[in-house]
Parts: sequence; C-alpha cells; structure tokens
Amino acid sequence: MAINAGSRAASRIRRPLTLDSIVRSALVGLFVVLMVVFILGPLLWLGVRAFAGNWTFPHLLPDDWTLRWWQVVINDGALGIAVQNSLFFAPLTVLVSAIICLPAAYAFARFEFPGRRFFLISLFATNAFPKMGLFVTLAALFYALNLMNSVLGILVVHVLGTVVFMTWIPAAAFAAVPRNLEEAARDAGASKLRVFASVTLPMALPGIIVAAVMSFLASFDEAQGTYLVGAPAFMTMPTQMYSLVLNYPTQVAAVFSILLAIPSVALMLAAHKHILGGQLAEGFQIK
Amino acid sequence: MTTMLQKPADVQQAVPPAGATRPKRLGEGAVGFFMALPPILLIALFVGFPIVLAFGFSIGLTGGLNHTIAIIGQNVHEADSWWGTLAAYQEMFTNKRFLGDLLVTIIVTLVGTATVIFLALGIGLYLKLKGGRMARLLSGLAIVPLFIPVVIASWAILTFYSGTGFLRSVFALAGLDFPVWAFTMVTVIIGSVWTSLPFAVLMVSSGLQSVPNAMIEAARDAGAGSLRTIVSVIVPMAAVPIIIATTFTAIGIVGSFTVPYFTGPNSPNMLGVDMSNYFSAFNQPQQSAVMAFTVFLIASGIAALYVWANFRSAKEQGKA
Repeated sequence: MAINAGSRAASRIRRPLTLDSIVRSALVGLFVVLMVVFILGPLLWLGVRAFAGNWTFPHLLPDDWTLRWWQVVINDGALGIAVQNSLFFAPLTVLVSAIICLPAAYAFARFEFPGRRFFLISLFATNAFPKMGLFVTLAALFYALNLMNSVLGILVVHVLGTVVFMTWIPAAAFAAVPRNLEEAARDAGASKLRVFASVTLPMALPGIIVAAVMSFLASFDEAQGTYLVGAPAFMTMPTQMYSLVLNYPTQVAAVFSILLAIPSVALMLAAHKHILGGQLAEGFQIK
Repeated sequence: MTTMLQKPADVQQAVPPAGATRPKRLGEGAVGFFMALPPILLIALFVGFPIVLAFGFSIGLTGGLNHTIAIIGQNVHEADSWWGTLAAYQEMFTNKRFLGDLLVTIIVTLVGTATVIFLALGIGLYLKLKGGRMARLLSGLAIVPLFIPVVIASWAILTFYSGTGFLRSVFALAGLDFPVWAFTMVTVIIGSVWTSLPFAVLMVSSGLQSVPNAMIEAARDAGAGSLRTIVSVIVPMAAVPIIIATTFTAIGIVGSFTVPYFTGPNSPNMLGVDMSNYFSAFNQPQQSAVMAFTVFLIASGIAALYVWANFRSAKEQGKA
C-alpha cells in the first residue's frame, strides 16, 4: 500500500515534465533513426543491388529483380580460386598463430619474468604502427628473402595481424582463472598438466575462442598486405574485391560482398556473447 | 545483448601481481621468459628488423639487404656520407602532393576520432544512466560494423553516398539536390567513423559500466545536476578505458588504407593510400618509406598516450 502511494506520488511529480520528456524522447528517437540509416543503410543498399536488374536513378528500389549475378559469380573461375585461397589461409593462420602465441599468453598471465612489460609493449607496437607502413617496410626484407608471391610470405603477413588478438585476449582470460581453484586441484593430487587441462583451459576457453574468431576474421579480411605481397599470384577474397569493383558490374561485386560477409557474420554471431561480454575489451588493457 | 557491458568484477583482482602472491621460485621466471619468446621473436624478425632496415633505406643506406629494393626502385637517393642522407625526406617535405596528403590525414584522424568518441560516450552514458530497450538497441546497432569486413563496408558506403546513392535518391524524389559525397573526404570520414565505432563503443561502455552507481547517486544527493555528474564524476572514473578507445581509434584511422582507397579522391588522399601508390604504381619505394615513417611518428605519439594510460591504471589497481 505504502509502495503504491509512493509510486503514485512519483508519477504525479513527473507529470509536469511530460512536454519536456516528449521532446527528449523525440530527440532520442531521431538519433536512433539517424544511427539506423548511418549503420544499416549502406549494407541494405548494397544487399538489394545483388538481386537488381535495371535500376533507374531516383527510384528507391530496382525496376526488376534477377538472380543472374549469382550465376556470374558461381561460374567465374577466378572468383572460385579466391574463395579457395581464403579458406586455405584463414584456418592455417589461426593454427600457426595459436601455436606461437598461446604459450606466451599463459606466460604473461601467470609468470613474472624479466622483460615482461617490455614484451607486452613490443606486442602492442605491431598494432600501433599503421599496417600499410609495416608492409612497405616488410617489402625490402621479403625481396631479399625471396618471400614475395609465396605462400610463406602471405602466411607471415596474416599471422602478424593476429598476434595481438592471440596473445592479449587469452592472457586476460588465463589471468581471470582464480589461482586458488588451480591450487585446490593441485592439493587434491592432480599433476600440473592435469590441472591445466581440466581446470585452467576450460575456464579460459571463451577468451581463446574469441581470440581464434578475431584471428580467423583478421586473416579472412586481410587485404592490403596480401595484395602487396601476394598479388597477382595469390588472390584471396578481399584482394579480389579490389579488382572486382573496377572490372565487373556493381551487382557482381554486391554478390561477392554478400558471400564474403557470410563467414564473418556467422562466426561473430556464434561468439558474440563472449565478445560483447567483455572478453575483447578486457584483453586490450595491458596489465 | 543484455550481457554486453558486464565486467566480471573479480577479473581485476585476479589479474597480476603475478608471482607476488607466493614466493618466487627459481626457474619460473626462465620458463615464462621462454614461453613468451616465440611471438616476440616473430615480431622482432618481421616488424622490428624491417623497420630498422627501411629506416636505413629511407636515409639512403642501400647496401646489404636493401640492395635488391634499391635496384628495383626508381628515384633512389643514395647516401653521400657515412650516416646517410636526408635527401629523400627533403624531397618529400617540399613535395606539395605529400604535404596535402599529410594535412588530409591529420584532419581525417582528428575529426574521425572526435566523432567516434563523442558517439561512443553518448551511447555508453545513455546505456549507463537510462538503460532500457532503446539503449540496448543503440549499442547493438553500434556493434554491427564489427561483423562486416572493411573491404565490403567501404564499398557499401561508397555506393550509399554516390551520385546514384540512397541519400541523393531520397532528396531527388523530394525535388532537392543533395551533394555527391563519394570520392570526397566526407565519405572517408564517414567510413572511418563507421568502421571504428564498435571497438570504441565496447571499450567506453565497458568502462562507464564499471563506475559504481553509489558514486553517481552520492553526487546527485549532493545536488549535482546530470551534466555535472557526467563531467566531474562518471567520465573521470572511466578515463583509462576512454583514453584506450581514443588512442586505438586514432591509430586505426591514421594508418587506414582500405576506407580511403575505396571512398576517397585520387589526390590529396590519406598517407596510407599514397604510400601504396608510391610503392606500387610509381615504383618509388624510398619515398614510400619516408611516408611510412611520417605516419609512424604520428602513431607513436598517440601510442605513448596509450602506454601511459595503461600503466597509470595498473598502478592504481596495484594500490587498491
């Protein structure tokens, strides 16, 4: 009863503000509409194009619809090879990156060793330096080592782009595993390896999954370095986009865009709970 | 979406001081050092070493590993003294095209970063202070670009603001003329904001979310208005994540390539694009290296801020 009276009183106090609050929610509504147009508009505009026949300028929808462009993409050999190359490099990159970086992530989380902080900062350096600048400087070395237009060269470029994700995010995840749980398992007689496999690893797994997803996408989306090091011998899906936009009708590029976005969207949706749950944000704070 | 901004409270306490909680054992440090070594070696070999090499090339040291690229490249200035020459830098810093690119890069970075952080703060504060369905919708929207490869995003944005794009169509139907933004710096800024927004929103709202509600109520009880509470309580308490978001956004934009490559004008464009033009199309790798070091210099200034913010936060947590 008392609560009811209280809330009634509160609503009575709020009433004189209604005009103000209407204006305020109208402003918020306007902002949301603008954000929808800003964020989703370009994607929808592009998506429609993939099914469009003729499209007269000021009309908001195409004059007729067709699946012709999908046929063009499926029948084009070069595009098929680009898809294959992308699907070859991305998993390989994640695997190599995990082998190199995960032990380091564990070390950063659990051991205090000389140079730890220096190491963390040098890892950050790969991210702080603009990618295009790095690739331009890499080129001299790649020419000298004969890595231009080679699988190994592209793999190096792709793995470099994943090191920060594969080290920082799992490191934060390992660090978040409570030590006393590990120690309890040790006290119960489990070996170090056993503790790691059945306590530490499962608890840190969401962070490792986020890191793997981000690395896969980093490799899958990597365009500038692959183009500089691999083109024209090795074209992946994103590098193929560069020439597609110039040489094909816009509808073909639209179809290809949808194909290229499918793995990203699928993986992100699968891992979005962990990414939004703070694993990503947590990983980017050096500790 | 509801779980979005939960920051596990125990994480901060569980994070280092590693090894400080129990007596240090001999050898543990060595094990950690060697486990951490592989990615560091990779970076030393393929990032650190090439940077040193390329710096040597940019000041005209064309021997050793730089020999091949010096032969392939055109217009290479060779060293005329033991320490090299500044001729390539002199050439570029008197080159109108380069100076135009530099100015454009700085403007896009400043405007883009300011817009991203303003939007991220707005969305984060709305989520923290108001909450509700509208706030979750907004933050969900802001995360969408994370799902879309940059190549596609750039191209989608280009067609959206092009001569036959959506905005011009809508305005044309209403009998108005809307400017063509495609291939101008306006689209480059729009594209940069679009692609940088998710990370900034995640970082900033996770920081704002961890400001204790009790602090905000205390400020309000003491008579502080909404604006006052935001400016002198909430934002300062979330300063470190906000600085991290700012630096990462600025570094991302200053070195961006794909967005300005697709959506920007031929010249002047951002340094990332022209760097690649000088390298591939003009075959002038030395000039390209000079541009790379100019961007490095800007980026390392921004990066210093990031490192400072992180160590400040590490110190604060150590004290707490």
